[in-house]
Amino acid sequence: MADNEEQTGIVLTEAQQKSRRRRSIAIALALGVLVALFFAVTLVKGPAVLVRPL
Amino acid sequence: MSVIDHNAIELPRISEADVADYVALLKPRVMSLVIFTALVGLVIAPGHFHPVLAFTSLLCIAVGAGASGALNMWYESDIDALMSRTANRPIPRGRITPPEAAAFGMTLAFFSVMTLGILVNWVAGALLAFTIFFYVVIYTMALKRWTAQNIVIGGAAGALPPVVAWAAATGSLSAEPLLLFLIIFFWTPPHFWALALFRSDDYARAGIPMLPVVAGPDTTRLQILLYTIVLVAVAVAPWPLGYFDAAYGVISLALGGGMLALAINVYRHREGREASRATRRLFAFSILYLFALFATLLIEVVVHAVGPSIW
Repeated sequence: MADNEEQTGIVLTEAQQKSRRRRSIAIALALGVLVALFFAVTLVKGPAVLVRPL
Repeated sequence: MSVIDHNAIELPRISEADVADYVALLKPRVMSLVIFTALVGLVIAPGHFHPVLAFTSLLCIAVGAGASGALNMWYESDIDALMSRTANRPIPRGRITPPEAAAFGMTLAFFSVMTLGILVNWVAGALLAFTIFFYVVIYTMALKRWTAQNIVIGGAAGALPPVVAWAAATGSLSAEPLLLFLIIFFWTPPHFWALALFRSDDYARAGIPMLPVVAGPDTTRLQILLYTIVLVAVAVAPWPLGYFDAAYGVISLALGGGMLALAINVYRHREGREASRATRRLFAFSILYLFALFATLLIEVVVHAVGPSIW
């Protein structure tokens, strides 16, 4: 798109961009914690991680 | 040339919600009490429980409680807007839309239950799912707008976290976590009815049939006193029954005496500033009461583990 061409569609305001970025970082951190949790429990349980009695 | 008239299209709403707004959806103050009572459930459970698994369990229980809070705020956004206590929540303020809150709550509920089930055990996972279901469907959707007994029955959801925690640590259930359940269960009515007494205008405006709105303040005062008597008895009972130590028994008796004195005060003072002060005192002390009771159990376990000789 050329610089002088009028931008169409939704254009986020600065406040919207900032809040979206902060939300994205929070989601990334939450997913990171989830991955770390599964990794840590796998280390703790060892092969027993596959044993899940009801 | 574009065939779309951009002015005619309704643009989707772009969220400006901050992370803090989503944190507020989790009801952090309620969550902190849930974490604390669950911690006590974990600590008093017999046997060794690996710290990583204990942390995982607490995190899942906390997130599950947060999910319940978010789903509660989603369903109650209409009445939250009418009450001064809740008008500042993210949905009434327009920071988060009800569908966004519902999606957030459902996602957290799913992940908390599945993570607890997969990583710890499915007894705890199923109990956490039941707790969320009970709070959201039974309490929020069915009971709250229908009966004055809403918080009596609904109190079961708030009483379950130590049971879930015990189940996480042991994979089963026994008398001790059920005693903790009963303590929180009987603590809930005096605590919330004290709040409802000085917020009854709010509840009446929102059309919520809390006991002071439906049956009047005098009946509520009597019910507070009766439930407090049962609460104090239930809270002391584990000592003579041999489940908890004498230190717990003595502290439970002392704290129970305080609760009872304040409940009698609420019953006696029915009008004016004295009445208002009495209900606010009971409400504030009830939080301290539950915290101190559970803290005593926690301290007992730590003292037994660290220095058995001093006992």
